[in-house]
Amino acid sequence: MRLRPPNLEELRHALATANARGVPVTGWDLHALNTLIAHRPEDMTATVETGMPLAQLQQALARQNQWLPLDPPFPTKTTIGALLAGNHSGPRRFGFGTVRDWLIGIRVVLADGKIVKAGGQVVKNVAGFDLCKLFVGSHGTLGIIVEATFKLLPQPQAECFLQRTCVTLQEAAALLEQIWKSSLQPSVLDLHRLPNAPLTLVVGLSGPTEDVTAQRATLATLGVRDETNLSYDAVFHTLPSRKLTVAPSAVISTLEQLGATSFVARAGNGVIAHASGVATPANLPSPVLQQRVKDAFDPKHTFPSL
Amino acid sequence: MPAAPQFAISDLVRELRAIVGPDGVLASESELLAYECDGYTLQRNPPTAVVLPRTTEQVVAVVNLCRRENLPIIPRGAGTSLSGGVLAVDGGVMITLTRMNRLLHLDVRNRRVLVEAGCVNAWVTREASPFGLCYAPDPSSQPACTIGGNIATNSGGPHTLKHGVTTNHVLGFEIVLPDGQVHWLGATPDGCEDVEGYDLRGAAIGCEGMFGIVTRALLRLTPAAVAHKTFLGVFDTVDEASQTVSDIIAAGIVPGALEMMDQLITRALEEAYHFGFPLDAGALLIIELDGLPDGIAAQSTVIEAICHRNGAREVRVAKDDAERAALWKCRKRAFGAIGRLSPNYVTQDGVVPRSQLPVIMRFIRETSERCGLRIPNVFHAGDGNIHPLILYDERDPGQVQRALAAGHDILDKCIELGGSVTGEHGIGVEKIDFMAKQFSTDDLDAMRTLRRVFDPEQRCNPHKMFPGSKRCADFAPRKQAAA
Repeated sequence: MRLRPPNLEELRHALATANARGVPVTGWDLHALNTLIAHRPEDMTATVETGMPLAQLQQALARQNQWLPLDPPFPTKTTIGALLAGNHSGPRRFGFGTVRDWLIGIRVVLADGKIVKAGGQVVKNVAGFDLCKLFVGSHGTLGIIVEATFKLLPQPQAECFLQRTCVTLQEAAALLEQIWKSSLQPSVLDLHRLPNAPLTLVVGLSGPTEDVTAQRATLATLGVRDETNLSYDAVFHTLPSRKLTVAPSAVISTLEQLGATSFVARAGNGVIAHASGVATPANLPSPVLQQRVKDAFDPKHTFPSL
Repeated sequence: MPAAPQFAISDLVRELRAIVGPDGVLASESELLAYECDGYTLQRNPPTAVVLPRTTEQVVAVVNLCRRENLPIIPRGAGTSLSGGVLAVDGGVMITLTRMNRLLHLDVRNRRVLVEAGCVNAWVTREASPFGLCYAPDPSSQPACTIGGNIATNSGGPHTLKHGVTTNHVLGFEIVLPDGQVHWLGATPDGCEDVEGYDLRGAAIGCEGMFGIVTRALLRLTPAAVAHKTFLGVFDTVDEASQTVSDIIAAGIVPGALEMMDQLITRALEEAYHFGFPLDAGALLIIELDGLPDGIAAQSTVIEAICHRNGAREVRVAKDDAERAALWKCRKRAFGAIGRLSPNYVTQDGVVPRSQLPVIMRFIRETSERCGLRIPNVFHAGDGNIHPLILYDERDPGQVQRALAAGHDILDKCIELGGSVTGEHGIGVEKIDFMAKQFSTDDLDAMRTLRRVFDPEQRCNPHKMFPGSKRCADFAPRKQAAA
């Protein structure tokens, strides 16, 4: 059963009914729940219903020169709910982290239709257990997040993205090591090879104008000086790809093993999306504990399975 | 729920000694004195025994013994927590991790470090700094507090405004659950930071020791700031200083730290540490920019202008690293200077939205006047995280009651203003009554559900956090070591 509730009350009711009757809920569309409940620029926080697309939220925050520093590939299509459920991120992850770092409060409808909240509206808060973390990346298997409160940042005064093409992975590796050991503080550190395109290192700089200018000069000495943008990330993710995650130090050796495939790699984080046929075996740690979480929050397995 | 010991203490001690060796168990009345409370001294009760394991295997063996004998388990680090989080409410075995204090592997290339849970917070940055790296969370107790304790309480510190709290910097950890099973939650030492499945790591950080005993942790290291600039803004009133905080944020600047000290605390600090603080100032702001030198230079101009616009009488700049270090040393030892003002104090840890700082500061002032007790303030203004220190004299029972009432009023006000009753100290036993004010019954049930996943028998650190918990029999204020 798919849910398309016109409002929160209907969602609660539909879910409680499905749960009571043992009808599995396979998906939901929360586009009707798309209000920006509050943007408090002076507190650098915002509370939003999760049916709102990320791009729409960013647009509203930009009016006060603020943003949620997350850049998953398709922000106009990605709702806040999808962003949270899938724990999506983009190139700026190296500099700004993931949605877990920015979420400070949630409201969730549980399988039985009860609405619970966790966290709150303030940027620092350790009252109670951190259920926010549990629900981020839970892929809708524990409950439906209907409202989220984020801490925000001022928009960077300046941003620029610079690239350098490399002939070999070894050349890219040497460059990465130089950047890694330097005093540069990039917000993006990606390596990509799109279909029929050269191997390319991308470095992003975000911050005060003076810092961006100074770092840009440093990068130029390393031969990273061609201006670019981050569109490669969305381009690559329109193609079928697999995800592979390793320690940052293992990125180059892992790419070598993948061979001549196209990929986008977060070189600073160790997250690789690639188009090769090499499948990564599933590796769910503590499966018994994971299943206990699922069974505790959704005892009748109304939501999709883990 | 575990009950008081059913078998003889001598048998328990004998069995514990068999696990950890003769020098690893404390059970005499005098030895247990040091373990009857943490930094929150209004409630005290000794554990049945304290055990000091050296390995995860020993922790597992102790946990299994507790399970067999149905004893409560109380995990503890250095005991610097401030809300009774390590209080042995009903006795039990206190597992103290301070002998598991090694830094096991510094992985400079991946900017991470593997430590044992008893490793002291400040040691991590000390070992990482030769490589240009640091461990960002810096609670004021960092020369003593342990990483395991930091994970239990999701510790903050002055520099969390820009750099985040413990949960943002812990990649993974090993935890012994109350059923004796050992799990590694989150990223493994050689693995990626992305891990499949639910974020059990994140869910367990800040659990106040109620899910299990953390034994090892993998921490994220951050490139140390290339440059710092530290300002001391001198203001006539708290209102002016509060407005300055708001204006800095509104200008799009997120400083590394943004701390406020009012006149009372400044006087105590000056008397204790002789930094050269102006004694007649109504409020001081410590504003620290960190990052790259060019941006800092540009932002400095803005910061100074904002301070002056809000009536700052003076804006000093730390002239070198030594002066900066001295300033932070004063700030972080602020609680220690209170002994000069009062025989006893109780500190609160409320949070309000930053924009409500002037409101809560006025409320604290009114509360102080109403209850006739002095309340100095030293706190993380940039985060809206207040630390009013309510001074009282325990020899006067009336003062004790008024101090408790004042604290409650301030925390109630924080909730009313859309905030929280704790930003970094935790609920422990102290703030149990506020949980039902800040959360609904359903919210609390969801938290209990999570706890049952990890600790179905509620053996680990029982009687904490949730309303209806049992309290210590001897709820009576005693002598407090304020210095």
